[in-house]
Amino acid sequence: MGEPFDFTYILTFIPKLLSTLQITLFIVAGSLLIGMIVGFLIALPRLYQIPIVQTISKVYISFFRGTPVLIQLFLFYYGLPELLKLAHLDVSKTPVLAFVILTYGLHTGAFMSELIRASVMAVDRGQVEAAYAVGMTGYQAFVRIIMPQALAIAIPVFSNLVIALLKDTSLAFTLGVMEMTGKSQTLGTLTQHFIESYIALALIYLVVSFALEKFLKWLENGLLQHEQQDTSVRSTRLTLRKNISYRRIVTEMSTGKGGVDL
Amino acid sequence: MIKLNNISKSFGRQQVLKDIDLTVEKGDVVVILGPSGSGKTTLLRCVNYLEKPSDGEMIIGDYHLNCKYASKKQIHLLRQKSAMVFQQYNLFKHKTAIENVMEGLLIVKKLSKEEAIVRSVALLEKVGLGNKLEAYPSQLSGGQQQRVGIARALAMEPEVILFDEPTSALDPELVGEVLSVIRKIAKEGITMIVVTHEMSFARDVANHIVFMDGGVIVEEGTPVELFNHPKEERTKQFLKRITPELNYNI
Repeated sequence: MGEPFDFTYILTFIPKLLSTLQITLFIVAGSLLIGMIVGFLIALPRLYQIPIVQTISKVYISFFRGTPVLIQLFLFYYGLPELLKLAHLDVSKTPVLAFVILTYGLHTGAFMSELIRASVMAVDRGQVEAAYAVGMTGYQAFVRIIMPQALAIAIPVFSNLVIALLKDTSLAFTLGVMEMTGKSQTLGTLTQHFIESYIALALIYLVVSFALEKFLKWLENGLLQHEQQDTSVRSTRLTLRKNISYRRIVTEMSTGKGGVDL
Repeated sequence: MIKLNNISKSFGRQQVLKDIDLTVEKGDVVVILGPSGSGKTTLLRCVNYLEKPSDGEMIIGDYHLNCKYASKKQIHLLRQKSAMVFQQYNLFKHKTAIENVMEGLLIVKKLSKEEAIVRSVALLEKVGLGNKLEAYPSQLSGGQQQRVGIARALAMEPEVILFDEPTSALDPELVGEVLSVIRKIAKEGITMIVVTHEMSFARDVANHIVFMDGGVIVEEGTPVELFNHPKEERTKQFLKRITPELNYNI
């Protein structure tokens, strides 16, 4: 293609591409936000087995999981305005980015709902019963007992989802959004150094994915503290200190008898 | 005092509890015996409303509930009158031993954090886990987990503690430590209903034994009455199978 390969172009392309990284990240963040809300709403009827709504959820999930995201982008970008026109709503002024985020959001929502459902169901039912037996309400049991554990279970799959989403956003260039992939196309066309621009692009995706992965792994470790069998040196020290503080509170409050007289 | 009147429970068409009447006085230790499938666990779970009775009436302390028309709020109040110790311990896995005990005190009883800590430490010491405050359930043995479960139940200061086969999931070696804790708190006058297969425990600790089969109470009485002079044929059969006679020849 065009010009002969020149390594230096990669270095000059990277900062230019980085200037559009924020748009890519904006799409990712926006769709994740929509995805989580939608995913939660879609998961609830299935978790509580509400008739009819449950079926709608299933159809929704089938559609978004069973069709390519590229087709979904086209359908929403070209199809939705036509549909809304029938309802006398003019959306021709709405920026492309809004359609892109909406599509990715709904797409992610389908996967997110399955993730939420699987994680919640993975928390042992006995603990919910224990929470009820202690006298908690259903809401308290969900928020205090199920959620923290479901979150920890969900994080590894969630990080896969985020990274897949990050890479999927590269398709937004087909609608003319100037995110990273779109920018690299333009740079390629302008300079006739396509390979270099794609290498630069791949490098950036790689680094961002890697950073996201590390961050989510760190989060997972924090949430999965209770699963670790042998406490490391650091956490042992932490434990001791906390233990001492429990003891101190007990001695300081020596007037209160508490459960001793049970 | 706990009074159950005409408690019935069906799963679909199968009736697992048929008009159960049971009275437990304050400070009583009632042991429910019976073959598996006799409905003893279901009965226990009904008292805590983990199973919804289809019909009947329940009185725990000063709280009266008609099971047929129980509202969510009434069920919630009833649950606070009892606490449960589970066969599989069912500790909150993401919380340490002391956090497990504190949870109900903070969330349901709304105690201050300091008060909850003082009480929880005292209770964990009572069950012999004063040195395991900060351990997660995954770091504890089955017997230790079950003792945390008992401390968690005690913390709520309920009218009655329900034990659902508390030692069935334990290694034989660990059964003793859990039973001795239960024995200790029984001596302190805490009302309890225990479903168990530990005959010697039932004989020693209980002051009232209920024998159930096929969803009805077949026979009830003191341990001496029931173990030594059972009246019903079904009870005799069951006891014979559980405690085989020493009739071997040398």
